[in-house]
Amino acid sequence: MGRAIVITSGKGGVGKTTTTCNLGAAIAQLGMSVVLIDADIGLRNLDVVMGLENRIVYHVVDVVQRKCTAQKALIKDRRLDNLWLLPASQTDDKDAVTPDDMRKLVGELKVIYDYVLIDCPAGIEQGFKNAIAGADEAVVVATPEVSSIRDADRVVGLLAAQDIPTRLIVNRISAHLVKKGDMLSQADVIEILALELIGAVPLDEHVVASTNKGMPAVLEGKSLAAREFSRIARRMIGLETEAVRETGGGWFSRLGRALGLSSATAA
Amino acid sequence: MWNMFRGKPSSREVAKGRLHLVLAHDRVGLEGGKLQEMRREIAAVISRYVPIDLDAVEVQIETRSRATELRVSSPLPARGGG
Repeated sequence: MGRAIVITSGKGGVGKTTTTCNLGAAIAQLGMSVVLIDADIGLRNLDVVMGLENRIVYHVVDVVQRKCTAQKALIKDRRLDNLWLLPASQTDDKDAVTPDDMRKLVGELKVIYDYVLIDCPAGIEQGFKNAIAGADEAVVVATPEVSSIRDADRVVGLLAAQDIPTRLIVNRISAHLVKKGDMLSQADVIEILALELIGAVPLDEHVVASTNKGMPAVLEGKSLAAREFSRIARRMIGLETEAVRETGGGWFSRLGRALGLSSATAA
Repeated sequence: MWNMFRGKPSSREVAKGRLHLVLAHDRVGLEGGKLQEMRREIAAVISRYVPIDLDAVEVQIETRSRATELRVSSPLPARGGG
């Protein structure tokens, strides 16, 4: 039986879809079979981030309405043999899917695949409720900003109310800005949200370039963000026990600055 | 991290302080007006037992880790002294 993990955040634009794409690819690289579900009905995006937008025939609403089987709707990744995408529909009918539908769908996929990663829409309304319905655990993505952390805190409360174990990814952290005193550190974010940290992804312009091309950063080599996504994937499947590194100070930030990452732009 | 030359808190410290306050209120779900209403009622109850300055009663919501607590503080007059 596989595991279903929802990637969520509350606030939009903090990197949920990019995180889902990269963790999915990284877990698949480790030899596990992975299905990514785009649960953002009406605003589908995971397909373009994955570079699979030209191959969509069926989508998640077709599957829950029994117009086709889940197997038939899955798009196989070109680069990895054991990675699949179930795209969202572009219809604006938010009620096309219910939490029960999602629970059933995720349950069916878990029988066949090792990991089901669910890309949750922004917000805490119906789309969020659908996305978390079938999840065994959750990963909350937050950037080190007041608005993102505030929204993440709401989501953490809602996940706790559903008894869904939750871990944290701090995304787009700049060691340089933390050191200058102009960005919350990962330790600050952990203290405020009181969650277990599973990864801290540096602000890295390589991710912007990868997204432009529709290529997961983890498949493009060894950028700092790609390395961290790969480490998170290892932690998620229980391969790596090494603690998450603190940003700021040490060789990590010196290297980041040497590579000019401190001035990297946010997506 | 305090900037020793300017003596001002860093934007990181400011962000942390603002978050602690905002989250404390978010977690309890009390909008600003409700908190003041509660403060007035608590002050009124205390004043039934001890003569106090109603305006000196303060309520604060604080959060530490995922636990949130309500702190009420009120200066109490010494007996006879007033």
